[in-house]
Amino acid sequence: MSSPVQIWRNHKNLNKDLNKIGRLIVWTKIHVAPAGFEHQVPYLVGIVDFGDKKMPLQIVDCEETELKENLKVVTVIRKIGKAKSEDVIEYGLKVKPA
Amino acid sequence: MRIKVAGTGLTKFGELWDKSLSDLAFEASLEAINDSRLVSNDIDAVYVANMLSGQTSSQDHLGAVIASSLNIKGAAFRIEGACASGGLALHLAIQSILAGTYKNVLVIGAEKMTDVPQSDISAALMGAGSEEERKAGLTFPALYALMAKAHMAKFGTTRNQLASVSVKNHYHASFNEKAQFPFEISMDKVLTSPMICSPLSLFDASPVTDGASAVVLSSQTRSSASSAYNPPRRWALTPSRCTSQDVFITGSAVATDTIDLAQRSSLVEIAATKKACQKALKQAGVDLKDIKIAEVHDCFTIAEILAMEDLGFCNKGEGGEFIQKGTTRLGGKLPVNTSGGLKACGHPVGATGIKQIIEITHQLQKRAGKRQVNEVNLGLTHNVGGSGATAVVHILQN
Repeated sequence: MSSPVQIWRNHKNLNKDLNKIGRLIVWTKIHVAPAGFEHQVPYLVGIVDFGDKKMPLQIVDCEETELKENLKVVTVIRKIGKAKSEDVIEYGLKVKPA
Repeated sequence: MRIKVAGTGLTKFGELWDKSLSDLAFEASLEAINDSRLVSNDIDAVYVANMLSGQTSSQDHLGAVIASSLNIKGAAFRIEGACASGGLALHLAIQSILAGTYKNVLVIGAEKMTDVPQSDISAALMGAGSEEERKAGLTFPALYALMAKAHMAKFGTTRNQLASVSVKNHYHASFNEKAQFPFEISMDKVLTSPMICSPLSLFDASPVTDGASAVVLSSQTRSSASSAYNPPRRWALTPSRCTSQDVFITGSAVATDTIDLAQRSSLVEIAATKKACQKALKQAGVDLKDIKIAEVHDCFTIAEILAMEDLGFCNKGEGGEFIQKGTTRLGGKLPVNTSGGLKACGHPVGATGIKQIIEITHQLQKRAGKRQVNEVNLGLTHNVGGSGATAVVHILQN
């Protein structure tokens, strides 16, 4: 996970991709997580096409059964992973069904 | 281009708790130097392939670490390119010989992965991905799972076809005493193993492995640049002495693509594999149809299916069927991953690309034991870094 300075730097750019509409291309459900994400398993991650770019993002507020190719999704701000020992909480983009 | 594989050295692959990174690197290096009938003083340069030593062993500066353990005073480098570190180190070592800078080089790949918890390894390996992928909580199994799902959706590739890669590679590993998993597994075992990330389960994935592999590469003939400081005695022992058992690398190519999987033009191919393969074949002056054996990068079962297609051994979309029908099994027309591949021989990240070269070299030298393929004189290795951001292809010939 990121250091406090990296988090501060990344948070400054969060606004520009917020509330963007995209389409889900493909997704998977992760059962074995990297360090910092263990508490979230299982969780959904997909590749989303926003027209101008494609991004890998976690998919929240839905079950896997609701997902299908080309599903309309929207970006939201959520907590990313677990806070490290510095206790600085990292926020970032995820998507939910629009 | 003809670069001689003058010697090989390979440790056991597996959970080697009683051996450190340095122990493994030393063991493989010494075996390779001895096999080449050279001595440490003859080695002009050392190329070390490794990805994770800083994180798993608190050890960097690996070039000097390994050179000094062998009492080699020449140049020493560490090369990092994720899971393609081994292939990249070979490529750079070859360039140095072609340039006439060095005559005999040691290329050593080593990785020590079982000293730290699985979640730490998963996070460390994601250093080979993009920042966006790390923030999404993605893992390498998950990146390949996304490619598998896209391949299944587009071409109808089946879960059983994925599993058949694992079954085949375990069968091959059952003849390889150096393999981490030298035993067969059933289709049912793969299909019922715990889910890692849909549709890939535990037995679709290469393991976490300790191990090291090393080769000595030599210029085929004496070069005027190096003859000045090499005593005449050496010429009787080294590259100019060619026999039918001699194996040469005749093609070596690297290609790259976007670090982020989402930015690729296609999720169902690894374009860098195609480019590197075409370049390597052209350099070697051989046709793909003449390749008799290959070691390819099966970090996950879908990766071997993609490799078959992108290297050009079968049409796009037909890789699953190609493997399932037995074409690439020992006894088939094109045996692939006779070592057991990354899946069953193991995947000590930095060592893998060099282990592939060793397997093909031993096959061409007819010293592959129970897994020997008949009448082979031309082989290919394929090493991938990340989810396809780096690909390295080598061609080997007698």
